[in-house]
Amino acid sequence: MSDKRVTIIGEDAVLLRPIMKTGKAFYIAAAILLATTIWGVHAYLTQYRTGLGVTALSRQIFWGVYITNFIFFIGISHAGTLISAILRLTNAEWRRPITRASELITVIVLFFGVGSILIDLGRPDRMLYVIRYAHFGSPLFWDVSCIAVYLTASFIYLYIALIPDIALLRDRGIKGTWFYRILAVGWEGSERQRQLLEKGIGLMAILVIPIAVSVHTVVSYVFALTIQPMWHSAIFGPYFVCGAIFSGVGAVIIVMVLIRKFYHLEDYIKPAQFHHLGSLLCALTLLWFYFTLGEHVTTIYGNEPVQMAVFWSKITGKFAPHFWAMILFCFIIPLPLLSVKKFKTITGIFIASVSIQIGMWLERFVIIVPTLTRQRLMIGSPSYWPSWVEWSILAGCFSLFIFLYLLFTKFFPIVSVWEMKEGREKSMEEIQHRLKTYLPNG
Amino acid sequence: MGIERRTLLKVAGLILAGFTIKPAIDVLSKVDLPDPLPTPGPFANKRWAMAVDLKKCWSLEGCKDCIEACHRIHNVPDFGHPKEEIKWIFQAPFQTVFPEHEHEFMEEGAPEKPVMLLCNQCDSPPCIRYCPTKATWRREDGIVMMDFHRCIGCRYCMAGCPYGSRSFNWRDPRPFIKKPNLEFPTRTRGVVEKCNFCEERLAQGLLPACVEACKEKGLIFGNLKDPKSEIRKALQNRFILQRQPELGTKPKVYYIL
Repeated sequence: MSDKRVTIIGEDAVLLRPIMKTGKAFYIAAAILLATTIWGVHAYLTQYRTGLGVTALSRQIFWGVYITNFIFFIGISHAGTLISAILRLTNAEWRRPITRASELITVIVLFFGVGSILIDLGRPDRMLYVIRYAHFGSPLFWDVSCIAVYLTASFIYLYIALIPDIALLRDRGIKGTWFYRILAVGWEGSERQRQLLEKGIGLMAILVIPIAVSVHTVVSYVFALTIQPMWHSAIFGPYFVCGAIFSGVGAVIIVMVLIRKFYHLEDYIKPAQFHHLGSLLCALTLLWFYFTLGEHVTTIYGNEPVQMAVFWSKITGKFAPHFWAMILFCFIIPLPLLSVKKFKTITGIFIASVSIQIGMWLERFVIIVPTLTRQRLMIGSPSYWPSWVEWSILAGCFSLFIFLYLLFTKFFPIVSVWEMKEGREKSMEEIQHRLKTYLPNG
Repeated sequence: MGIERRTLLKVAGLILAGFTIKPAIDVLSKVDLPDPLPTPGPFANKRWAMAVDLKKCWSLEGCKDCIEACHRIHNVPDFGHPKEEIKWIFQAPFQTVFPEHEHEFMEEGAPEKPVMLLCNQCDSPPCIRYCPTKATWRREDGIVMMDFHRCIGCRYCMAGCPYGSRSFNWRDPRPFIKKPNLEFPTRTRGVVEKCNFCEERLAQGLLPACVEACKEKGLIFGNLKDPKSEIRKALQNRFILQRQPELGTKPKVYYIL
């Protein structure tokens, strides 16, 4: 048994330090996060006791912050897919230190996406009716199915790639070895096991991409398949998928900056990673802007009264502050930070990513609420400013997400140790070999 | 150990795959839109519709008899403010309901005149397509039904309705019902409700409450499939409006100018 004990190369010891030691900072952070979460739970219980009337929602504007949160969280979940799966499939070596961190975002945030919908239900005690009395033609049913498949696939994907590191921790003989032994499912690192692992990871990487595209497409179809003005648009499918990858990459960058700082991973998460992701984010900023521009240009040129009423409420009317703030945060702030070399530092890319998260939350809000005011059928002048319950629940979701993320890093290495090792040992040779296959014979 | 595990996995996989066969056959042989009741019953030869005679309605200013009758017998709560209001039949100004018919040179006061609005009981209702639990569906006699016990309160049907006909129970309605009618269910919080063309009264051979309550006989109700019905006569000779018929919803509420 001791022969097969995996020796840890001294240089990777920093990757396991969060598991070995827990400092005061962690406990303080955990306390703040749990307190915010408990406050969010209190807000929800208030709502559960009295009804959704404690929100600012009304007969006219019956979808608001919770549905915005739902789409926002599901959007961020595309982080894991893009970084992990697509970069793996394209043999991008720079993905090695960040795949697990991004896959983890996906797995955890999907629960909050689903949770947001459940929070929005009038009768959450009847949530299983969607399965028991399933209406296959309903886009909400498609949502439930696709998200369930996505969550399962992402979880399997995260877990499989985690197995060798779990075995590492098992063999180290630290506290709670039984926990790692069960999860390691007998991993010994043999050649056959490695081959199976590669195949499994490769398969999941391929599967998870169309699943992810389908998830955000069916989420967009909740709106696009109705006949409401400025919802009934075929572009919503690609628009939402683009927006999801956009906010997802931003979320990965934020997480990368934070774990790099607090877990001292400067040797692993290097400026190169930020540079590449920053360029990707820049391209997505432009793509997002292209879709948004298209939506609004087609509306204004069509000049249909029903559509124009909603359009003007966004551009100059009641929702103009939200709309133009969205443009500011999604486009005006990030674009120079990501495209001008002088600004494209790690700090600049971080600021752009945070800005994009704010902007994309506003984008979801601006898509949902103005259409609901049904400007043409406007009876009275409905407005919507979220109540303390809605803000508290949003804060609670964020804090619980961060807390669960932190908890994971206390049990498993957030940077994949075995993949870094593999990168050091095998990648040089592989890349040289690959280069030879597309350079002229010399 | 390796061979045994592989066999187990194969067998387990086949069993799981086997579980999907019946549901797959069920799904593939299903029709797209939710079906109304399969047996024709007494519904097959009926198609209920309503006509609102606007001139008669406007002859009595400030009248709300139909609203009061409907909300009374259906235990519709009164919260006292528009944010959480529930309304099965209600009013809106002409210019809001028929903006395409409004023009600069209309008769004085015409754009503000109240038009009665209710669920249009469409023949091709968009709302029923979105409900994830089929808590709302179209019955064979044309009434778009609502099952308060199955509704999960997602409000997607409200998003699907282009007319804003549906209301949601944002809190427990019972404390806000002035005088409950014990012959009709109250709803719980968290479910959607709307006008049901008084299907419980139709089942007893009575007219809808609003139709009965209108002193001017401004609401005409009947069976479109009966050529001798009042509604057929009313729809024949006058200028008929409908709310946004170009949407393809085939509404069953007509407005006679």
